[in-house]
Amino acid sequence: MLWRFARISLILARDLNIVVKAIIAGSAGEKKLLLGNEAIARGALEAGISSATAYPGTPSTEIIEAIAEVARDYGIYVEWSTNEKVALEIGIGVSMMGLRALVAMKHVGLNVASDPLMSLGYTGVIGGLVVVSADDPNAHSSQNEQDNRIYGIHANIPVFEPSTVQEAKDLTRELFDLSEEFQMSVILRTTTRLAHSRSQVVFGEVVRPNREAVFHRDPEKWALLPPYNLAKHRDVLVKLDKLSEHLSSFRFNTVEKVDGDVAVVTSGVAYNYVKEALEELDLALSVFKLASVYPLPRKLALEALSYGKVIVVEELEPVLEWQLKVLAYEEGMKAEIHGKDLFPRVGELNKELVKAGLSRALGIRYEAPPAVMPSVELPRRPPVLCPGCGHRSTYYAVKIAAQRLRVKPVYANDIGCYTLGFYPPYQMADFTWSMGSSIGIGLGIARFSKEPVVAFIGDSTFFHAGIPALINAVYNRTPMLVIVMDNGITAMTGHQPHPGSGVGVFGEEKPAIRIEEVARAAGVKFVEVVDAYDIIAMRDAVERAIKYMREAGEPAVIVSRRPCALMVLREKRRRGESIKRYTVMKEKCINCGICVDRFACPAIVREGDGKVTIIPDLCTGCGVCATICPAKAIREVEVDE
Amino acid sequence: MSRRSVVIAGVGGQGLITIGSVLGEALMAKNYNVSVGEIHGLSQRGGSVAVFLKYGEGAVSPVVTQGEADLIVGLELIETVRRLPLLKRDGSVVVNDFLLPPPASKSIPTRGELLSNLSRVKSYVVDARELALKAGSEIAVNMVMLGAALATKILDLDIPDIENLLSKRFKGDVLRVNMEALRLGYQSIKE
Repeated sequence: MLWRFARISLILARDLNIVVKAIIAGSAGEKKLLLGNEAIARGALEAGISSATAYPGTPSTEIIEAIAEVARDYGIYVEWSTNEKVALEIGIGVSMMGLRALVAMKHVGLNVASDPLMSLGYTGVIGGLVVVSADDPNAHSSQNEQDNRIYGIHANIPVFEPSTVQEAKDLTRELFDLSEEFQMSVILRTTTRLAHSRSQVVFGEVVRPNREAVFHRDPEKWALLPPYNLAKHRDVLVKLDKLSEHLSSFRFNTVEKVDGDVAVVTSGVAYNYVKEALEELDLALSVFKLASVYPLPRKLALEALSYGKVIVVEELEPVLEWQLKVLAYEEGMKAEIHGKDLFPRVGELNKELVKAGLSRALGIRYEAPPAVMPSVELPRRPPVLCPGCGHRSTYYAVKIAAQRLRVKPVYANDIGCYTLGFYPPYQMADFTWSMGSSIGIGLGIARFSKEPVVAFIGDSTFFHAGIPALINAVYNRTPMLVIVMDNGITAMTGHQPHPGSGVGVFGEEKPAIRIEEVARAAGVKFVEVVDAYDIIAMRDAVERAIKYMREAGEPAVIVSRRPCALMVLREKRRRGESIKRYTVMKEKCINCGICVDRFACPAIVREGDGKVTIIPDLCTGCGVCATICPAKAIREVEVDE
Repeated sequence: MSRRSVVIAGVGGQGLITIGSVLGEALMAKNYNVSVGEIHGLSQRGGSVAVFLKYGEGAVSPVVTQGEADLIVGLELIETVRRLPLLKRDGSVVVNDFLLPPPASKSIPTRGELLSNLSRVKSYVVDARELALKAGSEIAVNMVMLGAALATKILDLDIPDIENLLSKRFKGDVLRVNMEALRLGYQSIKE
């Protein structure tokens, strides 16, 4: 029922009975409830951007999705790029044409884009260039919680952070002006709690991109060659100093002054926690809210340091705190500066953590509010592979193949839905790292491992960062089995197309690049394509591949192909097609548990009496359970929708 | 009243985000500062999900902390009990009488255990699926729960506020079913 709900609601949105308007469309003065990411998209629209490029990644994805909804009306170029490096490079190129460009990515995506980013700090820009880094404190859906404000310091690129959704829109728009005024690219850093919060936003005027595109030929500016690089480095440091002075009157840096000798310095979403905390503690302290986190607005920072006690409230790393401490030391100021001695450096902040920290700093008693605790133990509910997911049957078949070959492979895994193979009963992710690392790290293991290395990598991830490592495997003759889990789409982030999908950001037709052709062209001699639902074919292919790589000492590639089950079901419902369902014939069931415990499809459950049954609302009709049932006790039933 | 907080708890795919955004829009129309905090990503694959809604006159953060919520709207029993520590001592819970055990979990509390946990606070149990079916479609479970939430009178909203909004979003049969589900949910608490 749950899954059905999710899918039907998606289909209904396209039904005539639902009024669908582009969320970020609307005229000046209009007020809408927008997601932080949608507000950034609207801000970019109001800034008159010509281009928006990104690779999907939580919590950044909705920025491009929202822009795509209106892009054709305004003549904005928008795309899902192969990876973040390419997305940023396109943005840089657009800026060289004198046009405004937005580039968006999740925090770890900026690592991939960091190579061009580092030099972008030196060259600066012509057309305004805003790089959105959506960070994920608490690592809700990420491999780490790195604080990308530090990238600004590292790359000599100014960093800004909005505190509210309204500010996310306004700041985005004005950062394009600032970027052009100072000829510097800027990083707009958000966090999950802003990117994925809805709040009221009052719209401004939309500016249609109307500039003439002219390539700003200036090799001395753009060619990062030895005679010019040091001069550029010197120039950017001067610019940052100027910017630091300028930012003291930047309207997004605000000071709420009250009498007293304590100042709170904060930025981003933490500002809201500070406001709530002060209200609940009934405290009046001066609050410096900094939207420019690097460089600090110099005059404002000095003003904050003129207080006897400065309490810095920021999530993750002490970026503001360090800068303030350095400034205080340089200026010989004696303020007592607190920060990470009061607030955790790991995970997100919230109102209670801020209340506790402020109380400690001020020597007042803090008590956590009373709470009703559950008196039963609650089972965890980790996310699972969907019913009908081709990744599940692939894992199942690979496991059988390994058993038959009597090998215990090292299972290299990667970033995507299939990472859920980490959980029991599969436990087929011995490590997961960063995009493409299943192959790369796998190569290091394969070089020395007696057991075979089997790397699982998704289609989108393969295009993003898997190809160079695969070529390396061929070139350096490393035996390894790479199984590309090809469901045709970037599923985890909500079904964005990629170079293998055959469609673009608007669903328009595009060339589809075939993974098997890429593998063959790279020189892989063992390449097979298998239907992910066909357990026997997959098992046999894996056995052949492992034998091949051991004998030949070279990599093998299997493309396990099945479109994402969620997409298929959605499409069927839209066309009004009936959906096959499967059912357990109780009289034939021997209660072996293979379908429920080992295959572990969420649609298959044990009832109160221990008997296995299939929840009809959850079954997507893939039929794989019927093929693995040793008692042939699962059969198809026709159901009308 | 400085701030009001609501937690909407359930399982990924149950339509929690819709409840949050509909409530958020209705409150925005009344000129409150609104914040609806969501966590996307992995939670969409049948994981545990909570949407935080806060509104008031001043700053509102996107996170509801321990003992803060005035109301929990629960679409599934386990997930509702999981969020109980967020509730104020005198807060209320409206919960869908629906238990969905996580796949492959060994020890699952019974419906009775979960309901008795909830009976320690002011709680209302709603058979949302039945009411949704009565309204015309089981997919309207979230509208039933939204109606039930309104009936607690904890939020500064009433049926017409939501009806206004729904009539801008939907038309025809979908509108009719949603409106009916909203009213049935509302009445189930009123009685």
